[in-house]
Amino acid sequence: MDKQPSERTEQVETLTPLLAVDDLFCERDERVLFQNLSFRLAEGQVLQIKGGNGSGKTTLLRILCGLNDNYQGLIRWRGELLANCVEEFRDGMLYLGHRVGVSKVLTPRENLLWSGHLHRQISADEMDAALAQVGLRGFEDSQCFTLSAGQHQRVSLARLLLSEARLWVLDEPFTTLDVGGVAFLENLIGQHSDRGGSVLVTTHHTLAVDGLTELTLGMGQMPRGSLS
Amino acid sequence: MSAARSTLAGAVVATLRRDLLIAYKRKNDLFNPFMFFVLVATLFPIGISPEPEALGEISAGVLWISALLASLLAMDNLFRADFEDGSLELLMLSPHPLYFLVLAKNIAHWLVSGLPIVLVSPLIAYMLNFPEGAYSTLVLTLLLGTPVLSLLGSIGVALTVGLGSRGLILAVITLPMSVPVLIAGTLTVSQTLEGASLSGYLAIMGAMLVAALTLAPLASAAALRISVN
Amino acid sequence: MDWTWFHKWGSPKWFYELSGKWLPWLVGAMVTCLLIGVTWSLLFVPQDYQQGLTNRIFYVHVPVASISLAFFPLMAMAGTIFLVWRMKLADVVVKVAAPLGAWFTALALASGSIWGVDTWGTWWVWDGRLTSLLLQFFLLLGVVSLRTALEDSEGAARACALLSIVGCINVVVIKYSVDWWNTLHQPSTNFTLATDQANGPEIWVPLIFMIVAVYLFFAISLILSTRNEILQREKRAQWVMDLVAKS
Repeated sequence: MDKQPSERTEQVETLTPLLAVDDLFCERDERVLFQNLSFRLAEGQVLQIKGGNGSGKTTLLRILCGLNDNYQGLIRWRGELLANCVEEFRDGMLYLGHRVGVSKVLTPRENLLWSGHLHRQISADEMDAALAQVGLRGFEDSQCFTLSAGQHQRVSLARLLLSEARLWVLDEPFTTLDVGGVAFLENLIGQHSDRGGSVLVTTHHTLAVDGLTELTLGMGQMPRGSLS
Repeated sequence: MSAARSTLAGAVVATLRRDLLIAYKRKNDLFNPFMFFVLVATLFPIGISPEPEALGEISAGVLWISALLASLLAMDNLFRADFEDGSLELLMLSPHPLYFLVLAKNIAHWLVSGLPIVLVSPLIAYMLNFPEGAYSTLVLTLLLGTPVLSLLGSIGVALTVGLGSRGLILAVITLPMSVPVLIAGTLTVSQTLEGASLSGYLAIMGAMLVAALTLAPLASAAALRISVN
Repeated sequence: MDWTWFHKWGSPKWFYELSGKWLPWLVGAMVTCLLIGVTWSLLFVPQDYQQGLTNRIFYVHVPVASISLAFFPLMAMAGTIFLVWRMKLADVVVKVAAPLGAWFTALALASGSIWGVDTWGTWWVWDGRLTSLLLQFFLLLGVVSLRTALEDSEGAARACALLSIVGCINVVVIKYSVDWWNTLHQPSTNFTLATDQANGPEIWVPLIFMIVAVYLFFAISLILSTRNEILQREKRAQWVMDLVAKS
């Protein structure tokens, strides 16, 4: 277990990156998932995390959004250590996981009302507009167990529309979406990036988003593409 | 698109509302603990003796043990569905302190599973020939004690929420922890029957409730973070 | 970051080597105390005028019962250290202390009930102390089964640490409530036996030897099982491989 100094060349940064990760080390079941993992996520940057099955993509995202703290290394949010600014961080981050967080007995509207209120006050109009935008017009008041998995995913996409978070952390958001849904989400990611928002996303799908950067886990672990 | 960040109270009320709504839509949650309580209490006269004197003697204990078991049975719905559908992760990523959100879930859960038991207890007590003159004490102790059972149980559920089969392990963790409440509840009833003043005993139960309200959600929140990790 | 490296791998090795040096001394001291205590209490303590030979189980029961009360505080302390400072060695202690505590508590219950045959004429009485011990036994089994049920080692470690802390608080509350319950239900039980007996030095000096012996036995068991667990966890580390190669 020798720790070699990271070969990363220090970049001159004019702006503090939204998220800065240094020397991340994570081990699960006596297997090292990643070590010496360092990267920066600037405002407006879309970073796709790649890697084979079991390479630790989901674990990395869960570490970065604060659900998993079984790691060593430093994670900074706007230049401050994550542990010191938990509240601001959670305010500015939105996570969509494998499990979409949609209760099957509730309607899309009720689900959104609750998850929205955990972060900010949302009005009924805003909610209906968001649901219409993700293609759930007419389903607002049906219980979610009558909806398909793709429609559940769409409910969670409505959360992106209602959120003001700067950072989106999306774990395989495309899996259950149809062609139209995929295009919609790609478009959404592009718009978010244009407004200066950042996105961390894992997917096996080839993303059609401008200015995409990539990070592959399991190999060199250095992000390709320019970081600025 | 710009709106204020939600207040803590707003988030707590939204969580409370959501959980009550879920319980209302899944009628089972509302009905099962209550039915279980009545059924267990019914087994005692059959298993022990239908003699009114014998029943009267043990009725307080029977009611308390039934309430304890019913609360244990009900615990499983507290975090399980939320864990499975991912709502728990949303709850933990809220900028508001998890302590209050967990407390809100606990309160909603008690309103659904604990309160109906407290309300029906006088009827079951009557059927068990519960001594007259202690009915109000019984209801008061249950009113103070069942929330403590829920709060303690919530720690056990939070620790085991990720497990596939957790029925028995939850019981092994939770039941010994519930013993002080059982003791306080039954002793309060039996001592008031012997003419002791109620206030001292109720103060002890009240203290238990306050301690559980302040400490248990902390432990539950920490346990949830571990389980979701 | 040499510091995290130290925490991860250095600490258990350090403990393993240090405890290896202590062990012979501890075992020697324990055997001495045990020999003195057992001989003295079995052969030279005057027989109680009321009670027969079984009464001498007192010299086993009291030390074992007193040590079994130490397990939850120990586990809660180690659990706190683990949760706050992430010290892996502390988790090893939580892990090995739970089953060990269950054994000691079972021993205390068994010796207590043997003593009860003489005192109360029956193997089991819902005596306050026995009841608390029984409940503590269940709580310890709960910690053990939680550890077994959660397969993920890091999650299991933290969950057990937390349960140990909660359990420790709970054991105190249980103790008080059971005492309260017991005094109200059985005010006439003869509890003063132990203090009656510990009157003269010829009674309590051998007891002290036994207590020290049992405490040492506890320390040795804890150290041995900790060393065992360390070896298992660090089986891929170089120093363990060297150790195996040498033996």
